[in-house]
Order: sequence, then structure tokens, then C-alpha cells
Amino acid sequence: MKKAPFLRSYTLFYLLFLYAPILLLPIFAFNSGKVVAFPLQGFTLGWFSEMLADENLRIAAKNSLIIALSVASMSTVLGVFAARASVRYSFPGKAPIMGLIMLPLVLPEMIVAMALLVVLLSLNVPLSLFTVIIGQVLITTPFAVAILTSAFQSLDKSLEEAAMDLGETAWGTFRLIVLPLVMPGIMASFLICFTISFDEFIISNFLGSGQPILSVYIFGQFRFPAKVPSMLALGTVLVCFSIILLGFAEYMRRRGIAKAGGKDSGGFL
Amino acid sequence: MTTSDDRPTMIEFKDVHKYYGDYHALRGINGTIKAGEFFSLLGPSGCGKTTLLRTIAGFEDISSGVIMIDGKDMATVAANARPTNMVFQSYAIFPHMTVAENVGFGLRKDPRSKEEKAKAVAEALEMVGLKGYGNRAAHALSGGQRQRVALARALILKPKVLLLDEPLSALDKKMREHMQVELIKLQRQVGITFILVTHDQEEALVMSDRIAVMFEGEIAQLDDPETLYRRPANKKVANFIGTMNFIPAEILSETGDKVEIEAKGLGRVALDIAQAPVPTGEAPVVGLRPETLTLLYDDQKAAERETEGLIDEVIYLGDMTYYDVYLGGTDVEVRLSMRNVPGRPVLDVGAKVRVAWSPSALVLFR
Repeated sequence: MKKAPFLRSYTLFYLLFLYAPILLLPIFAFNSGKVVAFPLQGFTLGWFSEMLADENLRIAAKNSLIIALSVASMSTVLGVFAARASVRYSFPGKAPIMGLIMLPLVLPEMIVAMALLVVLLSLNVPLSLFTVIIGQVLITTPFAVAILTSAFQSLDKSLEEAAMDLGETAWGTFRLIVLPLVMPGIMASFLICFTISFDEFIISNFLGSGQPILSVYIFGQFRFPAKVPSMLALGTVLVCFSIILLGFAEYMRRRGIAKAGGKDSGGFL
Repeated sequence: MTTSDDRPTMIEFKDVHKYYGDYHALRGINGTIKAGEFFSLLGPSGCGKTTLLRTIAGFEDISSGVIMIDGKDMATVAANARPTNMVFQSYAIFPHMTVAENVGFGLRKDPRSKEEKAKAVAEALEMVGLKGYGNRAAHALSGGQRQRVALARALILKPKVLLLDEPLSALDKKMREHMQVELIKLQRQVGITFILVTHDQEEALVMSDRIAVMFEGEIAQLDDPETLYRRPANKKVANFIGTMNFIPAEILSETGDKVEIEAKGLGRVALDIAQAPVPTGEAPVVGLRPETLTLLYDDQKAAERETEGLIDEVIYLGDMTYYDVYLGGTDVEVRLSMRNVPGRPVLDVGAKVRVAWSPSALVLFR
């Protein structure tokens, strides 16, 4: 292949631009200086202990976990139904229905958030974690449907027919054959929806009614320069958390493929 | 080959129709399949043979008509309650289970004890030649092994009918021929009715007691292999099974059980009425298989009739040679096949020859 020095340096620059800022998080999280600026002062774990001592931060983290787990579960379950229906059955109005389910993927989140806020207020529904969950499910379900559709599509229809042929009921077939074989897709959907929900900001801010939610809380803390280093410590923790999560997702995906005897064709890592 | 006539009926089709929207996939299927028979559904792709098999299994509803299995109407019986089991074209081996779990899948609702079930699985595996494979992962098997697992998994339930959807098409030629013989043996051993779907006429001839040849959603002919080959019901069947030469002919007279014709290049021939299937209204032609024509060497005389010929093409295959020959100074070209034996040299293009043939080998299509 011909060498293209420009493309090579462009790629390097692009990757640097993408990831270098993230590397700054741990650097300043362990820096003892109060101001986030070079030169570095000294090593400290103080920001981490300050972070752990922050009562509001703990509440925000707990709320975010509750929201993310609920959102990931709900949108994955909804995604299973929608993906199964769209892959296996044909029904009147299928194309527009699937289109409407996928629409939030391209709809500006701001509009979704505003519309939901107006509707909820006019219905006198009090804003809470629950309203945040409802709003986020709307956003994450298209991702779940997209991931699960490909999982269901790669499932040979004759496997289900074989199970039925061997005397199994429709539910037994789903439980014993379909579910285990699409499990990697379900895990992937769950983890991606979890991640999207965890750092979602707009809906959390609009529909959260001032409840501490991690993304909103972090943004708020950046107004106080003294708080910034401990937020960077939090960021470092979140980066590590994401890497572990992603690693786990990839491990599950590969194990699923190996179990089903398929060929590995790409993935996250 | 066993006779199928004296056996009880296992499956009966009564005017079965199937529509997919506007598409008429099955157009009035009638016929019976006998108990213990090795039955084949043969036809080109899209002829409805797989659809018909799937209606027996219960994977497809029929639009009208009746399918009876062992004397019971199947209209309200779901796939999981029918006395049939299927070997799928893709084998449909459950990839997340072991071989033993696959084979024992159908025994989940069986009231027998765990040990008895394990024994049944081991026996089924032994029957298909996979003794000791139970703990292997299903996805680690070769194509031939997957097929055996699929067979064991279907047969362990002792179905009344085993349905085979092109089970050999994914195997290479050697393996396919090997499995053909194994399937025949297995069928004799278990005595279950086998219904095989195939597009391979040779496979159908080799394996079946009887064959239904299907075209465009209809059964064109239902007969034993020999009758199908020697007395095809129409030109389409004759063309689909083996090679058939067609020679234009003129019907001179038809009296009782005799039909007299004038075939181009062959001359006047008197045929038995049995050699003339039900007329379809086409221009009359006679059909003649390549192996019923023989090239005569100088010292040989024809047993029945002979005709002059001119060799137009020679196709040498090692054990056989195909000759394309113009008959009797006409433009009618026929293919004949000769076994290559010592003392009978392969002849050249352009050679004038004598061709021996027998009137009883002719079939008249009209």
C-alpha cells in the first residue's frame, strides 16, 4: 500500500484530539494544586476523599444509578418486543410504526425534553426521578431496538421451528432457544442504554425538578473553581468505571459468539 | 424395492391448496403416502415441494383441502403436537447446547427418569454412528455430524413420519453418496415413513420407494422410480428425470391397445397403448433414453430394429462415451450412451453407423 504521510498524521492528530483531554482528568485529579493548570504541584489523594465526603454527590450518584438501571431495563425489554416483532412478523403499518419508534434517535433531545415538560406540567404530574426515567426511555429505546434487531436477525428461523417440531410450546421455544441465543444482544443493549442514561443531561435537567442527578450535579459544581479538582477525581472514577463496563460487555459478547459457534466479526475492542 | 400397495396409508392429501397472498403455491395436491415408505418429493426450486413438506409438519397452514396423518385430520393440530419430526436443511442444531442436549431436547416433557432419558439419547447417538459424542459442543461438529445429530434428535421421539428437507444438499459429493446409503439403511432399520424433499433426481431415484414429481404446485406424476424413468407421464417429467431424446412423430392409427406411428428417422412403429400416457394435446413426439440406443459394430446385428446414423459429436467420459447421432439421414439428432469395453473402439465424428433400438423402449407423448 502506498504511504500517505498526510493521512497518517491526520489520524494521529484526530486520535489525540479525541482522547488527550480525557487523559487530563486523572492528571489533575492527583495534582495537589487548587487550580487546574500546569505546572503540576504535587501528588495527592485529597480530591478523592473530598469527593467521597460530599453528601450531595453521593445522593446524585445513587439517583443516577437508579435512573440508569431502570432506563436500561425498561428500554431493553421494550427493545426485545419491538425487535422481535419487526424481524419475525409482518403487520399492517409496520414501516411507520418502526419509523416512529426509531425517530427519537434523530429528534433534537431539547425538543423532546421541552415537549415532555409541557405535557407533564399540564397533566399535573409532579417532576421526579420517575419522570426522568420516562423521558430517557424514549431516547434510549431506539438504541435498544437497533442492537436487538441485528441480534434477532442473525437467529436462524428453523431453530425455533425445530424446537416447536420437537414438542416445545411457543413460550418454551422463546425461553430455551431464542433468549439464550440473543442474550449477548440483550447484554449489549442493556449496557449501552445504561451508559447513555448515565451521562444524559438535557432530560435529567428539564424533568428532574432539581433532584441531584450526577450529570446535572457535576455541571453545577463547575461554577465553583474550588470544586473543580474533586469533580475531576469523580471524572477519573467514571472513566475507570466505563472501561470496566465496556470490557465486561466485550467479554460477554465474545463468550456469546464462542458459545453459539459463530465467527467474530468486529466489536468494540 | 418393496411394494407399497399392500401397506396401510400414513398420509393422505385431499385437494390441498396453499396461497401466499395472490401466489398459488400448492394447486390441488392429491395422493397418499404409505406407512413405512421412503417417499420423495422431487422437483425444481419453487415447485412447492418444501411448502408441501412444511404443511405436513404444521409449519404452514393450508388454504383449503385436508391433510390426514394416520387417519386423523391435521387441520387443528399444531406443529408441536403432530406425530412428525423434521430434519431441516440447515439442520437447525441448537448451537448453545451439547450434542446430548440437542438429541434429548424432545424428551423434556417425557415422564421417564433422567437415567432412562440419558440411555435413550445414547442409543439414538449410537444408531446414527455418533457413539460417545454426547458431551461435544454442537457448534464444533462437521456438516455430516450435524446431520446425524439432527437425525438422532428427530428419531428419538419415534415419530410416525420423518420429514427430511433437502438434508444432503449441504454435503460434498462423496459424503452425500455415503449418507444416501446410510439413510436407506436407517429407514429400513427403524421402519418409519420417511418423506424426503430433493431437487436432485438421481438422489430421489436412488433412495425412494415412490416419488412424487412436482411442477408449479402440482404433482405431475407419482410412481415408483423405475416407472418414472421408463414411463414418464409427460415430456416435462421425462426431461427432469435423466436424459430423454425427443423425436417428432406422426400418429397413423389407433386401434384398441395399439398405436401406430411414423417417427422421423425411425420409420413405422407399432406401440402398445401402455407406451402412450394420457394425451396432453401437444404435437406428438416419441421419447427414447440414451442407453436404449446402441451403436452396432460391423460384426453385430440388431436384436429388433436398426436405423442408419451419422455421428455428429463424441463426448468421452472414461467409462462411457456419449454420441450425438443424426438418425436415418434426417436432421433429427439423438444422444446415445455406450459403455466403453475392450474391442469396441470409440468412433469418430463423421462416421456412418448403424443404431439399434427397441420399439418397447419408446414412449409416445401427444
